[in-house]
Amino acid sequence: MDSASSQPEFDYLFKLLLIGDSGVGKSSLLLRFTSDSFEDLSPTIGVDFKVKMVTMGGKRLKLAIWDTAGQERFRTLTSSYYRGAQGVIMVYDVTRRDTFTNLSDVWAKEIDLYSTNQDCIKMLVGNKVDKESERVVTKKEGIDFARQYGCLFLECSAKTRVNVEQCFEELVLKILDTPSLLAEGSSGLKKNIFKQKPPAAADASTSSCC
Amino acid sequence: MASSIARGGEDEGEDEEFEGFDDFTIASSWERFISEIEAVCRLWLFDGPKNLVDKGAECLDHPKNLYKVKSELKYGGKDYCLEFYFMINIDGQATEWDDNLHNIQQSFGVNEFLVIAPLSASGVVLDSPESSKLLSSVAIALSNCGSNWPAFVPVHDPSRKAYIGIQSTGTIFTRRFDADRIGSQVPVRLMHMEGLYELFVAKFASFDYPMNYSKVSFGMKLTYRTPPFDDDEEDVLENMEAEVKESEEGNDGYDHIKVQWDDDCPWAEWYSADDPIKGFELITIWPRNTCESSMEMAELENASSFDAEKWSLYPLISPNMIDDSAGKFIGFASQLRLLVGALDRSFDAKFLEDFVSAENIGSDNSNPAVVIPPPTVRDRVLKELFHDGAQISSSLDLENKNSRAIKGTPLESLFAQFCLQSLWFGNCNVRAIATLWIEFVREVRWCWEESQPLPRMPSDLDIDLSSCLIHQKLHLLAICIKKKNLLNHENHTSVEITGQSSDEKGLAEFDRNEILDLPQDESMVDEFDSDSPDSEGTTGNLAVDTEFAVASPDVQKSCPIRKGSAGIVGNMMLLHSFQKMHAPYTQDAPVMTEDMHEERLHAAEVCGDAFSTSGQLEREILSSDMSAFKAANPDAVFEDFIRWHSPGDWESEEIEDRSTGNKEDPDQCNWPPRGKLSQRMSEHGNSWRKIWNDSPALPASEQKPLFDPIREGEKVLHYLETLQPHHLLEQMVCTAFKVSADTLNQTSFGNLQLMKTKLNQLYITLASSLRPLRANRTHDKYELIGDLRRLCLVFENIEKLLIFASSLHRKLRDAPRLTEAIFNDYFNYYLPKMGNSSASICFDKKFSNKQQVNMLERDVVANLFPPPTANQSWRKVLSMGNLLNGHEPILREIIFSVAHRVGDCHYGSNIPWTHTEEIETHRMYIRGTSNDLQGCVRMWKSQMLIASICFEQAYSSDHLLFQKQFH
Repeated sequence: MDSASSQPEFDYLFKLLLIGDSGVGKSSLLLRFTSDSFEDLSPTIGVDFKVKMVTMGGKRLKLAIWDTAGQERFRTLTSSYYRGAQGVIMVYDVTRRDTFTNLSDVWAKEIDLYSTNQDCIKMLVGNKVDKESERVVTKKEGIDFARQYGCLFLECSAKTRVNVEQCFEELVLKILDTPSLLAEGSSGLKKNIFKQKPPAAADASTSSCC
Repeated sequence: MASSIARGGEDEGEDEEFEGFDDFTIASSWERFISEIEAVCRLWLFDGPKNLVDKGAECLDHPKNLYKVKSELKYGGKDYCLEFYFMINIDGQATEWDDNLHNIQQSFGVNEFLVIAPLSASGVVLDSPESSKLLSSVAIALSNCGSNWPAFVPVHDPSRKAYIGIQSTGTIFTRRFDADRIGSQVPVRLMHMEGLYELFVAKFASFDYPMNYSKVSFGMKLTYRTPPFDDDEEDVLENMEAEVKESEEGNDGYDHIKVQWDDDCPWAEWYSADDPIKGFELITIWPRNTCESSMEMAELENASSFDAEKWSLYPLISPNMIDDSAGKFIGFASQLRLLVGALDRSFDAKFLEDFVSAENIGSDNSNPAVVIPPPTVRDRVLKELFHDGAQISSSLDLENKNSRAIKGTPLESLFAQFCLQSLWFGNCNVRAIATLWIEFVREVRWCWEESQPLPRMPSDLDIDLSSCLIHQKLHLLAICIKKKNLLNHENHTSVEITGQSSDEKGLAEFDRNEILDLPQDESMVDEFDSDSPDSEGTTGNLAVDTEFAVASPDVQKSCPIRKGSAGIVGNMMLLHSFQKMHAPYTQDAPVMTEDMHEERLHAAEVCGDAFSTSGQLEREILSSDMSAFKAANPDAVFEDFIRWHSPGDWESEEIEDRSTGNKEDPDQCNWPPRGKLSQRMSEHGNSWRKIWNDSPALPASEQKPLFDPIREGEKVLHYLETLQPHHLLEQMVCTAFKVSADTLNQTSFGNLQLMKTKLNQLYITLASSLRPLRANRTHDKYELIGDLRRLCLVFENIEKLLIFASSLHRKLRDAPRLTEAIFNDYFNYYLPKMGNSSASICFDKKFSNKQQVNMLERDVVANLFPPPTANQSWRKVLSMGNLLNGHEPILREIIFSVAHRVGDCHYGSNIPWTHTEEIETHRMYIRGTSNDLQGCVRMWKSQMLIASICFEQAYSSDHLLFQKQFH
C-alpha cells in the first residue's frame, strides 16, 4: 500500500543484528554509527532499534539495526530478532577473553539455530581497541575465529571511532554482493512488518542521524 | 513433377479403357512410370543426403539418424509411394547388432534403400505379378541412373512382413532380397538352431553359385525378458511391429507383485504407484562364429547365456510414466494440483463455514467436483489424526537440508498430517477441506477444554518460527494446555509440593520434569560445588520449587519471609546483609508465535528509535526478575541484583575473592564483598535502577504472569476458528508441498546422484515458488495459481522420476553402477519434459537405451530371472533352448552368412559394403520365437536381363522356393 502512495525512499532495506555478551559495547557501537557520538549508555534492556539511511554503491539503503541485550536472561526472546536479518555482527571486548570465547560457545550457535537466511553475512568485531594496554584477545585470534566461522572481521573502537564506519560499510557491501540477500532486501519485496511503517517516522529517524 | 503425374493418371484412365486394344499405349505407360521413378531417383541422387535433409527430409525418431523422403506416383490406376531411406553421418559400417537399425536394414544388411508400395490401407502388394513389375520398374530406373540402391516391395499380407528386393551391385551379380514370416505354428525344425542352420544351407545350396560349406558363419542375439512384474503390453520389442501374442502366463502372479512392489515405500501410506518398470529385457549377443555341421548348432542351444560376448539390459517402462495427461498419474502431485484448485476456490468466501453450508455453492452433492466424503470417512481421518498419533520426535535427519526453507511443518506434526489427510480426503475440494477443518478445530478445542495434550506436537517449549503459522499456533496451544494442566495441578495440591505427589496422568510427570528444567538445575548444583563465578542467568521457573526447597530447608527456616528461592548462588554474599545470595525462581519468558513477535517488533520499531523505550516486554521480564529476586533475597540491594543478573556490570575490587574464600565455611568469606557498579550501570537516571525501585518484592508464583496460558490458549482457538479460507489454504498448500516432498525424500534409491540433485532442486524450487504465500501480502491471484499449477507439474515429474529410481534401485540393488547408468539414461530421456513444465511433451520415441552389463554384474541381472515355479513351468512349453535360469529367450535373432572369394573382375569400384575379397554372398537373417519366425535372405545371383518377364518368373519361382521351405 505504501509503494502505491509514494516512491520508496530507499532501494534496499537491510536488517542487521548486533549480538554479543553484555558490556562489550554493542549499543555504543550502534550509537557511534548512527549518531556519531559516544556516551556511557545504560545497559540495553532486551532490545534496541535504530535506523540509518546510507548511500553505498550508488544505492540508497535503509539499515534497520537491532541491538540486543547481552544478558542471558533476555536470550530466550532473541530468536525472533534473528529472523530476516541479512547481517549479524558478533561483538566482543578485546579486553575480556570470556566475551570472545562466548562467541563460539554461545552466539555462533544461536545464529545457526535462529537465522532464517542461510546466506546471512556474519561479521566479527573486536571492540574497545582503544584500551590497547588491557588487550587480552589478539588480533590473530580474532582472524582465526573469523576464518573458522566464515565471517568478516574487524577491530574497532566505539569510543575513538576507529573502524566503526568501516565495520558497517564492509558488512553492507558484502550483503550487496550477495544476490539472495539483495533480493530479500529490495524495496519491492520488503518484509511486511515494514510495510505499514509511516514514512514520517522514517524521515524523523533519518534526519536525526544524518 | 506434379503435372506429369497428373497427366500420367489421365493416360492411365485411357489405357484401362483400351486395354488389350493398343499394346503400344500399354508399353508407353509402363515406360512412363519407369521414367518417372527415374526422374525422382535422379533428383534424390543429385541432392545427396545433406541437401535432402536441408530440404526437409523426415527424420525417423526411432532408428536415429535415419531420414526418409518420399514421392507419390501413379501407375495402372493405382497410387504408389516411393520412399528413400538414408542415413547421414554414417561413421563406418554399422555393427551387426546395432539397435538403431531400421528393420529392413537389420534384415538385409543394407544402409540406404528404396521402398515402393501402393498407397492403400495395407500398403503391400498382394498380387505377385504386380510386385515383380514394381520391383522391375524400380530396378530399371535405378540402373538407368547408375544407382546401386537396393529397392524393396512389401508383399503378401501385411502381417507377414514380407518383402522382395533387388540390388544391382555393378558387377555381374545382382543381389536379391526376400523376407517372409511365419506368424503361427512354426515347424519344430525351425524352432531350433539346427533346423535354422539347415534351412540356410539348403537355401544357398539350391543356387547356382558353388559354396564352401565350412564357411557358414553366424552371429546370434538372444533377447530375454524378465517374468512379468506387470501385465504384458504388446510391441515391447524393438524393431518388431509383429504382434507378439504373449502366452497366457501373463497374469500369473501379476496381482501379487503389483500390489506388493511399493508396499514399504514412504508414499505407500497414501497411495500405491504403478510399478514404472514393467520388466527388463536382457540382450545377449554372441560372438561371430563359424559352424560346420548342424550338430554344432544343436549343441549351441545348450550353451549358457553367460558365454555370450555381451550383455545389455534395458527396462521396460510403463506407459503411465511418460503419459502426463491429467489424471493419468495419481500421486502427491495430482492431489497437490487439486489442493491448488481448492486454494483458487477459497477466495470465493470469507468464512470456511460458507463452503459447508447447504445453500452455498455446490449445494448439490452430486457434483463430483465438490463432493464431501461421508461422515464415517471424516471420523476415521480425525481418529487417525488425534488418537493414533504420538508425540513427535524431532527427526530432523529425515528432512532435506533445504526443507526448512519452506514454510511448513515437520512431517510428523499434527498440521502436517492434517494436510496429508486432506490431500486424500475425497477429491481434496475446498468443501471437503472446509468440513474437515471445522471438525479438526472442534477436536482441537475439545483437547483444550478437556486439558488433553495435543497429539503429534513437538515437546519442546521453543516455537519454531520458521514453520507455518498454524503449526506455531497449535504448538503454542499445546504449551498452553501443559501450563494449564500445571496450574490445575498446583491448585489441587498444596503449595508445598513434596515432589512425590502421585501423578494422575503420565503427562504431569512429563511436564514437571520439563518445566523444572532439571538439567539446568543440576548444573547449578555443580556451580555450588565448584564455586563457579558465573551464575548469571539462572532461569528457574514459575513452578514451585521442589528439590531445592527440600535441599535447603534450614535456609528457608532461617528466613521466613524468603520466598521463591531456587537455591543459593555459589558463595555470593549479599552486600548489605550477611546472607548468602539466593537465585529466585523466575517466570518463563512468554511463548510467542511469529505474528506476536512481528507485532512486538513493529511496536518497537515505531517507537523505538524515537523514544528509546523499546523492549517493553523485556522490561516486564526484567521487572519480574527483580521482584522475584527481592522476594528471594529480602535484604538485597540493587547492586546485588546486578551481581547476579548482569555480572559484567559489577566491578569487583576483591582479588579472587571467590576462590580464596573457604568453600566449606561460607562464614570465612570476605564480607562485605567490595566493588562497585560499572560506570554505565551507576549513572544517574539509569533505567535499571528505576525499574528496581518500582518492582515490589514478589515471588514469581505470586506475580502477575507474564504469560497467561488460558488467555493465549483461547486466542489460539479464536485464530483457528476464524481463520479465513484462503489463509488456511495458503498454509495448507505450503505445508502440503513440503511434507509431500519430505515423504518422498525418505525413499531409498541408493546413491543416484542425479536423483539427489533433482530432489534438492525440487526443494529449492518449492521454497522460492512458495515464498509469495508466506508474506501475507495480497498477490495477483491468477498469477499465483498459475505458478502453483506449474509447480505441481514440476513436482509430478520429480515424483515419477523418484518412483522410477526407487523401483530400479530395489530391482538392481546389488549392481549400483548399472543402476546409475540406467537411471542416467532414463533421466536424459526424461529431461526434455522436466525442463518444460508448462507444455506436455509428447514422447514419440520409446525409451530404449540399453546399458551394457559388466561381467561382475551378470549375476545380479541373472537374478532378475528367478527360476520358474512349478506352476509356471508346466504351463510353458519350452521349445527353443538357450535357457537363462529356466527362461527361454523371447526372441532369437541369427544372422547366417557365407562368404566367398570373388575375383576382382567381378565387381566394380563402387561397392560400399565390402572392402575385402571375401564377399558375403549369402546372408540370412532370422528372428523369431517358437510361434513367430521371420526370415530374410540376401543372395547373389548372376546378372540377368533386368526388366524382362524372365526376371519376374525367375524371381517368383525363387520366392516360392523360399516359402516352401518356410512352411
